[in-house]
Amino acid sequence: MSEQGRNGAAAYVPQPGDFEFLTGRDIATDKNFSSLSYWKGVAIHFFKDKKAVTGLVIILAIMLLSIFGPMMNSYGYRDIVSFRNENNRKVVAKGIAPRIPAVHELFTGEKYDDDFADLTFFFGTDDLGRDLWTRTWYGARVSLIIAFVTIFIDMLIGMSYGLISGYFGGLTDQVMQRFVEIANSVPRLVIVSVLAIFMPKGMGLVIVALLLTEWIGMSKIARAEMLKTKEQEYVLASRTLGARNGHIIFSQILPNTIGPIITQVMFSIPIAIFTEAFLSFVGVGIALPQCSVGTLIEDGFNNITTLPYQILPPIIVLALLMLGFNFIGDGLREALAPKLEDM
Amino acid sequence: MKKYLSLLLAAVMLLSVVSFASAEDARYLGVMLYTNVMSLDTNLATDGDSFEVIADCIDGLTQMDADGAAIPALAESYDLSDDGLTYTFHLRDASWTNGTPVTANDFVFAWRRIAKEAGEYAYMLDEIGNIKGAAAIIHDGADPATLGVRAEDDKTFVVELDVPVSFFPSLMYFPTFYPINEEFYNSVGESYGTSPETFLSNGAFLLESYTPGAASFSVKKNPDYWDAARVQLAGINYQVVGSSDNALTAFRTGALDIAMVNGSQVDAVKKDAQLADRLTVTGAGYMWYLSFSQTEKNAQGGKLANKNLRLAITNAIDRDNLVDNYVMDGSLATFTAVPPQFAASATTGDDFSADQGLFADYVGFNPDKAAEFLAKAKEELGTEEFEFTMIYGSNEGDEVAKVAQAIKEDVEDLLPGVTINLQSMTKAERLDKMQNDNYDIALTRWGPDYADPMTYLGMWITNNSNNYGFWSNAEYDQLIADCTTGAYITDYDARWDAMLKAETLVMQEAVIAPLYTKANANLITEGVSGVDFHPVALNRVYKTAVIK
Amino acid sequence: MTKYVLKRIGTALLTLLIITFLLFLLVRIMPGNPFPSERMSADMIANKRAEMGLDDPIPVQFFNYLRKLLLEGDFGNGTSLYYGVPINSVLATCMSNSFRIGGMAILIGTALGLLLGITAALNRGKFLDGFCTVLSIIGVCVPSYVFLIFLQYYFSFRIPFFPYFFDAKRFLFSSVIPSLSLSLFTLSTIARFTRNEMVEVMDSDYVHLAEAKGLHGGSLVRRHVLRNALIPIVTVLAPLIVDLLTGALVVEKIYGINGIGKLMVDAITGEGIDYNYVLALGILYSALYIGIMLLVDILYGVLDPRIRVQGKAGDA
Repeated sequence: MSEQGRNGAAAYVPQPGDFEFLTGRDIATDKNFSSLSYWKGVAIHFFKDKKAVTGLVIILAIMLLSIFGPMMNSYGYRDIVSFRNENNRKVVAKGIAPRIPAVHELFTGEKYDDDFADLTFFFGTDDLGRDLWTRTWYGARVSLIIAFVTIFIDMLIGMSYGLISGYFGGLTDQVMQRFVEIANSVPRLVIVSVLAIFMPKGMGLVIVALLLTEWIGMSKIARAEMLKTKEQEYVLASRTLGARNGHIIFSQILPNTIGPIITQVMFSIPIAIFTEAFLSFVGVGIALPQCSVGTLIEDGFNNITTLPYQILPPIIVLALLMLGFNFIGDGLREALAPKLEDM
Repeated sequence: MKKYLSLLLAAVMLLSVVSFASAEDARYLGVMLYTNVMSLDTNLATDGDSFEVIADCIDGLTQMDADGAAIPALAESYDLSDDGLTYTFHLRDASWTNGTPVTANDFVFAWRRIAKEAGEYAYMLDEIGNIKGAAAIIHDGADPATLGVRAEDDKTFVVELDVPVSFFPSLMYFPTFYPINEEFYNSVGESYGTSPETFLSNGAFLLESYTPGAASFSVKKNPDYWDAARVQLAGINYQVVGSSDNALTAFRTGALDIAMVNGSQVDAVKKDAQLADRLTVTGAGYMWYLSFSQTEKNAQGGKLANKNLRLAITNAIDRDNLVDNYVMDGSLATFTAVPPQFAASATTGDDFSADQGLFADYVGFNPDKAAEFLAKAKEELGTEEFEFTMIYGSNEGDEVAKVAQAIKEDVEDLLPGVTINLQSMTKAERLDKMQNDNYDIALTRWGPDYADPMTYLGMWITNNSNNYGFWSNAEYDQLIADCTTGAYITDYDARWDAMLKAETLVMQEAVIAPLYTKANANLITEGVSGVDFHPVALNRVYKTAVIK
Repeated sequence: MTKYVLKRIGTALLTLLIITFLLFLLVRIMPGNPFPSERMSADMIANKRAEMGLDDPIPVQFFNYLRKLLLEGDFGNGTSLYYGVPINSVLATCMSNSFRIGGMAILIGTALGLLLGITAALNRGKFLDGFCTVLSIIGVCVPSYVFLIFLQYYFSFRIPFFPYFFDAKRFLFSSVIPSLSLSLFTLSTIARFTRNEMVEVMDSDYVHLAEAKGLHGGSLVRRHVLRNALIPIVTVLAPLIVDLLTGALVVEKIYGINGIGKLMVDAITGEGIDYNYVLALGILYSALYIGIMLLVDILYGVLDPRIRVQGKAGDA
């Protein structure tokens, strides 16, 4: 622009280069908070939140126990505690309620009156005579893996699928939603049995089975949120400014829809854990004597009238796991979408 | 709001009052079924529960007495020809619930139909009953009219056999041989046996309410039954209880008079003074055993074809541990290829498998012997490490998974180098795998269809469809042939001895590893008596049952 | 709108056809025999298979199946489950049981879930909120059949008020316990979603504006907050409805209900694989799912008139 043009009376004539399209420029960085990167802010927010930190501690504690818990006594997850009596008959330590002999003696002044009086079982033993403490933490490993896989499936596949389907709408949405209907309609037992012909049974197959269907619920939520959000003004503004679709979907709309998405992740975790148990029961999941929190709950349920304590440890672990993830989820949501707080 | 709430409460109370009142008037016996009744058509039924309900409602030529022996039912008497090939049954006066008399033609029609449809139990006609012409109809589609049965007159029913069958009268209480009224069947067609209206009784009870797949249904006393004076019960309420854990509480509520509980509950029941008295253990008949596939394509190139390896495994399993600690319902540890307590000799009355120590040299919990057999097997096969997969059904009872795990522990403990991987699957898949010879070791079971050792021994002959291990032994085949169609068919005691010889062969070679013979732990309400329990054919018979 | 719905119904039928064919293929690959038998010889089984048309080429089988289904509305007969019995007669009873019990569970779960969620949101951060969180976590962690056993033990055994087993003759009365236990998962999910959504909406500018304009209490919650929070709630509720209507295996097994959940598992895990039952139940489930998803898409537009499922973003 010439010096003359600014001061003189001559009318403004646009020259090439006066304006430029914003496409390609960094329009995502909020200059007002440029001193603090977005993720750093999220982290600070997150760790200030007491509930979120509690959640993190719970999950970490379960992870640590699942690694070290089985080492805290001498029983292996598949060891049946037993001995042979004078008649050469096997006596098995099955169905023993939780006990710590030292503590029992301290309070009652008596020893336990049975063949396994000196043995400690924090969570008792199951109906086969195996230590439930060891099995619970061993099982927690499998279920933690399932939980993380589910989060991954939900966040990566389910969310993207739903956001894309909802954003583009029209024919894209039609085709993508019909595919969801087809994928959702084949009974899981059918699809898993067929898969089992082509790949070995076990954890891998469970994960593939989860991959096939577990994303559907999330995709529906993400799509609904997208449908609701995409007509809002800021999306239109972004589009007018020439933002690319990918940028609008993942950087503009996603942070504003994160709430229901996180809630949905939380609820898909127990579903996945029970799905794993069901798959193991019909024989495509992990093989006995291995176990998971889900299969332990089923075992406990099968003995609920005779050994009622057996179902408690796995249910409590699952509940704690859920509580931990929920706290983390709440914390994340508030940290990611700062409008909820006094920012 | 409050008004509606109280109204609702009142309605609920009223409902409950009405319901309690209706349950009181006629005392039916509440009986638990473990699975749904699959069919009330004798041609289609394949499971024990269906057979039981059919037998409640329809009588055959003979019936079971309390000890399982055949006593007259619709046939007042029968004559046997001197060559043992022709049975002439003389029918008594009895009628169907629609008033039509039961005639010899009802039997002719029903039996021809079984042969023509060639279903699951058609083999009772040809392989077991050896009825003339049956095989040709069943396998080659010959005219059903060529079956060796005929109605001499309305009250005389004649059956011709190919060879004498010593236990033929006791086959007659099996539902496959029950009559169906032709005229009635034709009037209802395909829907036969799917509702009280499409089902006709001539027996102690008649169908009161039933739909296919029903979780609960009832039968009530048939006033026109030929032996109605003997039947005391007003009726029976059947309730399917899929979880035996639930059965115990249901029994305590009074919803069930006869309930089956699982092993872990038997422990709890025994500790409860009141309940302990109510416990009755009855034989369920079927025997659980391990089947070893001996073909090349399984078990690391047919390793289990080695006799010593099989013997090592069968000597490493502590069967007493299985029944003491895991099955726990009174099931019997079994060391014979024919389970105990179902087949007694007609001449001496002795149980075929009374002596469970008979094969102690080949089977039993014997760690030293197991090690010896294993050493021999390792030498013969030139391998130190064996890894097999053992398949079992996850939906075949609460104890099966436990038994599988206990066997794995025993075998891996006592036989170094042998690994057994457990693979659970649905029963459908297990059967499919076994029938297609696609397994190493299978945990499987067989229930006796008739009270003769042959119901087990007949399975191990070459090419029998139940010979899942593909074992083959010419001497064995000859022995069995002699017992069924050859030299011993008329000499009862010689046949008995020959079957014992055949069983010895099976045990010496560890063709199968018998594990335990299943029992049912029943809880029976105080005051209920006279229910007959049998391990064969009909598990429960209520004709003499009484509620006090 | 009518055009859109008609178009959707058209595609739904096409989707259903694809699903039917897919299921038709898949069940035939599954391990397990459609006609299981331990007592029939190979030639007898072969005869039975031929009789049932299982040896025909798959397209011919499929065409015959469709023809029978479309022209006569007949799902065929059972092969391994309730062998020889027409499926339609079994299905009718099972469907009516599952639909009614599931329907009750949905009503209870949604009503109580909304109530709990709204209460929690309005008392955000207070005791009631925490209580709601814990309750909904317990609700999803403890399987419904454990609740069932619990309810059955206390309200049918200790206090023998409700029947111990399901009794079709006293339908309403004997559905209370299974419906309640089935509703817990729905209740927990709905409560949690409602609470989180409402908290978010209550923090938004337009609610602050509405508050500034003097709106408060019930009408604010109803008119502005809840309405805007309903979209994710409807979205999670839809598949839950389908699942509840199509029965719950373990609950049915324990409470002695002949419903479709148990039917499906019996058809697959019994002695064999019952092709016809798996197909019939699969088609039923798909039709229900597709129908409810269509309803949900229409409902979106009703709840938020800005949403147009048909259109593309920015077409406005």
